[in-house]
Amino acid sequence: MRWNRSLLGTAAASLLLAAQAQAAPTGGHYGGTLKLVAAAAEGTADPGVNYTLKYWQLFPMIYDGLVTFEKAGGKAAFNIIPDLATSLPTPTDGGKTYVFHLRKGIKFSNGKEVMPSDVAYTFTRLFKVLNPNAGTWYNVIVGGDACVKTPKTCVLPGVVADDKAGTVTFHLVHPDSEFLDQLAVPFGSIVPAGTPEKDMGTTPIPGTGAYMIKSYDPNKGMVMVRNPHFKQWDAKAQPWGYPNEITYTFGPTATAQTTAVENGQYDWMFELIPSDRLNEVATKYPHQIHVSPLLAYWYLEMNVNMKPFSNLDARLAVNYAIDRGAMVKLYGGPVLATPSCQVLPPGMPGYQPYCPFTKNPGTKWSAPDMAKAKALMAKSGMIGQKVTVITQNVEPYSGLGDYVQSVLNQLGFKASVKKISPDIEFTYLQNTKNKVQIGVTDWYQDYPAPSDFLNVLYSCANFHPGSDTSINMPGFCDKSIDAMMQKAMTVSLTNLAAADKIWAAVDRKVTDLASTATMFNPKHVDFTSKRLGNFVFSGQIQFLPDLAWVK
Amino acid sequence: MVSTILRRLAHMLFVMVGISALVFLIFFATPGTDPAARIAGRNATPATLAAVRHEFGLDRPLPVQYVLMMDHLFITQNLTSFVNRGEKIVPEIVEAAPVTLSLVLGAGVVWAAFGVLVGLLAAAFKDTVIDRALMVFSLIGVSMPVFWLGEVVNLVTQSRLHDTLLFSWVPTLGYVPLTQDPFGWFKALVLPWITLAVLYIGIYGRVLRANLVEALQEDYVRTARAKGLSARAVLIRHALRCSMISFVTLFGLDFGALVGGGALLTEVVFGLQGVGALTFHALEDLDLPMIMATVIYASFFVVISNAVVDILYAVFDPRVRAR
Amino acid sequence: MSASDLLAAPPAGWDEPALPGEPAQGYWSSAFAKLRHDRSAIVCVLVLVAVVVACMAAPLYARYVLRGDPFQSNVSGTTMVGGKEVAVLQQATNGLGLGLTPIGPQWRFGPYMLGADSQGRDVAARLLYGGQNSLLIGGVATLICLTLAACTGLVAGFAGGVIDRIISIFLDVLWAFPIYLLAISLSIVLINESLHIGPITIGGNSLAVPMIIIGLVYVPYVARPVRGQVLSLRHSEFILAAEGIGASPVRILWREIFPNVFSTLVVFAPLMMALNILTEAALSFLSIGVQPPAASWGTIIHDGDGLIYTRPWVAIAPGIAIVITVLALNILGDSLRDALDPRAKVRLH
Repeated sequence: MRWNRSLLGTAAASLLLAAQAQAAPTGGHYGGTLKLVAAAAEGTADPGVNYTLKYWQLFPMIYDGLVTFEKAGGKAAFNIIPDLATSLPTPTDGGKTYVFHLRKGIKFSNGKEVMPSDVAYTFTRLFKVLNPNAGTWYNVIVGGDACVKTPKTCVLPGVVADDKAGTVTFHLVHPDSEFLDQLAVPFGSIVPAGTPEKDMGTTPIPGTGAYMIKSYDPNKGMVMVRNPHFKQWDAKAQPWGYPNEITYTFGPTATAQTTAVENGQYDWMFELIPSDRLNEVATKYPHQIHVSPLLAYWYLEMNVNMKPFSNLDARLAVNYAIDRGAMVKLYGGPVLATPSCQVLPPGMPGYQPYCPFTKNPGTKWSAPDMAKAKALMAKSGMIGQKVTVITQNVEPYSGLGDYVQSVLNQLGFKASVKKISPDIEFTYLQNTKNKVQIGVTDWYQDYPAPSDFLNVLYSCANFHPGSDTSINMPGFCDKSIDAMMQKAMTVSLTNLAAADKIWAAVDRKVTDLASTATMFNPKHVDFTSKRLGNFVFSGQIQFLPDLAWVK
Repeated sequence: MVSTILRRLAHMLFVMVGISALVFLIFFATPGTDPAARIAGRNATPATLAAVRHEFGLDRPLPVQYVLMMDHLFITQNLTSFVNRGEKIVPEIVEAAPVTLSLVLGAGVVWAAFGVLVGLLAAAFKDTVIDRALMVFSLIGVSMPVFWLGEVVNLVTQSRLHDTLLFSWVPTLGYVPLTQDPFGWFKALVLPWITLAVLYIGIYGRVLRANLVEALQEDYVRTARAKGLSARAVLIRHALRCSMISFVTLFGLDFGALVGGGALLTEVVFGLQGVGALTFHALEDLDLPMIMATVIYASFFVVISNAVVDILYAVFDPRVRAR
Repeated sequence: MSASDLLAAPPAGWDEPALPGEPAQGYWSSAFAKLRHDRSAIVCVLVLVAVVVACMAAPLYARYVLRGDPFQSNVSGTTMVGGKEVAVLQQATNGLGLGLTPIGPQWRFGPYMLGADSQGRDVAARLLYGGQNSLLIGGVATLICLTLAACTGLVAGFAGGVIDRIISIFLDVLWAFPIYLLAISLSIVLINESLHIGPITIGGNSLAVPMIIIGLVYVPYVARPVRGQVLSLRHSEFILAAEGIGASPVRILWREIFPNVFSTLVVFAPLMMALNILTEAALSFLSIGVQPPAASWGTIIHDGDGLIYTRPWVAIAPGIAIVITVLALNILGDSLRDALDPRAKVRLH
């Protein structure tokens, strides 16, 4: 189980804190207004529905789950710690039963106290609001599958709330090594019983966090202020934030954002600095630039069920031919990305460096091997085939698409490239009806588990022909690899190290079969204003706005 | 007259229904636009997807969906976006309209003023160097892609010469509400105004010149000159007044089209969140409810300005009335 | 002409053109003679010929000057500058080492005379190849537009009644229709499918897509004045006379009306081409026009958009090419109008 890397003795101390009455601290670095900016809003503010990086960055300071990821930089960011629960439960019944004890005296921003019945209500509501992962994650709860089928009539016998005892008990259909991860992400945010059982859209739902949403208009912005009912119980789980108010403005383009942050009009920008401005910003404001590693990879997905990439040699040829160094350059240079050949990113449990597709195969990519690629192409018999590269019409995707098209032509394909809106590309690539041959895409972790990459992206279960949600984009399905992954997940319940070894083997096998061509692992660049202090980057949540100083 | 107006209104309605139906059909004929998948999220199961589709009524026959959408747009006015769930469409347009209106009004003032100036000067100095130069400049204005001109303006004022005295006042791209900071509003919009107006100054200057030159040859102007009125007085009092009809007509039409979102490229280049930008982002995201609303809004302005101009024309121009 | 006819008639300050009647003998030759003495018209024709020739010479430039493929990414490539080998895309070395800058304009005849774009491709070469596409699309779209406009305008004006009314609604719908939606959805529809119109097959990357879209949207623009002209000709004496002697409608349309309309179309041709080149640039700028790896002046401006701070010439150069070409076409259009139809007030947009 992943949680046992992070068992920390914080429960007792935090119980004490919760009992004391506290007002929001003042003085020192506390106070002020933190101003964030992004080009656009990203949908509903309902934590049970929204599945975007942009809002997953905000939800942790507005809501709490039973457990949460520690709010810290470095490795600690991946620790799962108790939040509304007093401690991390040890599963019983062979890993199928979890009993959580709730902290007493924690209130929602509407003044109502958090009760176990709120927790039960929250999880039923997840199915009723059609949570995107209801059928992939939360159906492990007893009664979950029925709820996915008929959300309207959902009752979830697997969650038992006892308001008197202050406990919530989860019964699972089978042991799940990632159940706590799935409770710790924002989908697990506890909301008050009685919250309407539909996507609340722009209407804020009360939460237990240090902040609450005061207003939200997708075409203008979001304002977050201190939750008047909040008292800190554990600074690692939900700290008093420093700013009194956090505003998020939507609208300006990345270029305008860059200029505005340079001038101090905003403290932080969501968008990446346009490559055109990178050098200027990095030279003039080196101390306001923060480069942080991410658990993510960018890759080319190749449809293994369609010509020409149904042919293994053709896929291998692409893998040998692409100049990952050039792609890193197009992304922003070696400071911002590292070439990679495999699925798992560095820092992920089970990661073992592996790169067969390079001049000197081994652990590291050094240079493309065009001679080998051309030989493979000749062998494949796919020379002269028409190929369309699908990518997004924004940088750096657009440039990567142009580059891939160019390499495919060198290999002897007749390649063209099609650039579509970022909003459509992700689902477009998934549907087999769209007959995508090769596409530029990426994957960022939900939580730090190898299965979130390998099982989600390469298992037979996640390939749904003809559907817009078929996250296994290449349509890759290998029974023996599937069996290995199942085994790894079972083993991980009892022996993490052994499981990680299996995952490493799966990673190598998947890489060898080349249904995708990994390009690189990106790093994240944050550009902050001159006045912003205490920049903390969590690998799980990214930049933590609540911990930033503006005073 | 009344029947004419009624007939004109019926025609308008036909056009708008036609446009909305066409937009609707094109949307559903485009692959990869299924809003259910985008609403459902990153790796939803097919069961979840089907539930979402049902919830949003996306599994109902197209005509029913069309009627429902029109009902939400016009009657209950609670139509919400497919991309930003919960985002109500109608208020968004109501909020974007002042931005566009500010842009187009200011640009309209600029182009009307300079258009008249160019036309008058060119007509007064017909066939001289001044006339030629003005006409060539007008044509250059007409020949420039507006988005390119905007980019060059941005390049100069935001980057290359931003730190010089000349352009240090230029604010970051974006809109500042008039009610919040009138001077900031002016500063933020003055460059977009000029950029948008350049094309129209060219057109209007040329049209006005042609009209004036023609009017100066009409009998009544010749009579006025014979009565001893100075050339300038004739030009301004008689010829200009007479040429104003087509000038105003033209202005009404262009103004209507621009208010409806025709200033899209200018808005996009200058980062103004007006109706044009709203339309473009909706198109990019294929957000059908927003597309529907903005398209109907735009076509309303285009069609109504056509109608108003035509009706006014029929009412006021004696030559038309006589026929 | 009744008021309601007028209402459905052209919006923009179209006064219907004066009636030239049946073109007199020597109408065209005298117009041609006038044009020959119009100095600005001759200059414009020369400029246009120069632009076309330069664009046609793109393969020569690529082969003998650039010695490379301007459609191939050159991310890791190098070039010779002043006898030294330098990277086409230069990685920043100062500060944090962030950012990548393409080689700038060399301002001398040779490789990278206008610099490289973000893929390390030669901008000058792409400008010439792009010009081919811009001109081709502008030209073909003009033909499509004028042909369709002539047909609809003739039919609507000549038939009148219900047919006229239906065509008018159709034209108004087209006029207020968002061209960008059409372009976006067509570009997605055509990613893997091909459009089959009779014997013609149009693929997603075909230039035919922007050609047809642009050709279509401006049909109302030309069809309305044509219709107005037909409408007034319809009741003119010489048509009534022709009808009186029993000429068939087809004959009247073809022999009496069309020649009159034709001069209007000729006047429109360069103006529409200018407008179409601008529209193509706008579509491509929004990346829904010409699809990569093919280029047009609009796509190059779009590519240059991302480099406007460091390498502004990538965006400026194609803009200048557009201005020169469109200006020449507009002046030529003016001259044509003066020569053919001095009283018509064809409006530019």
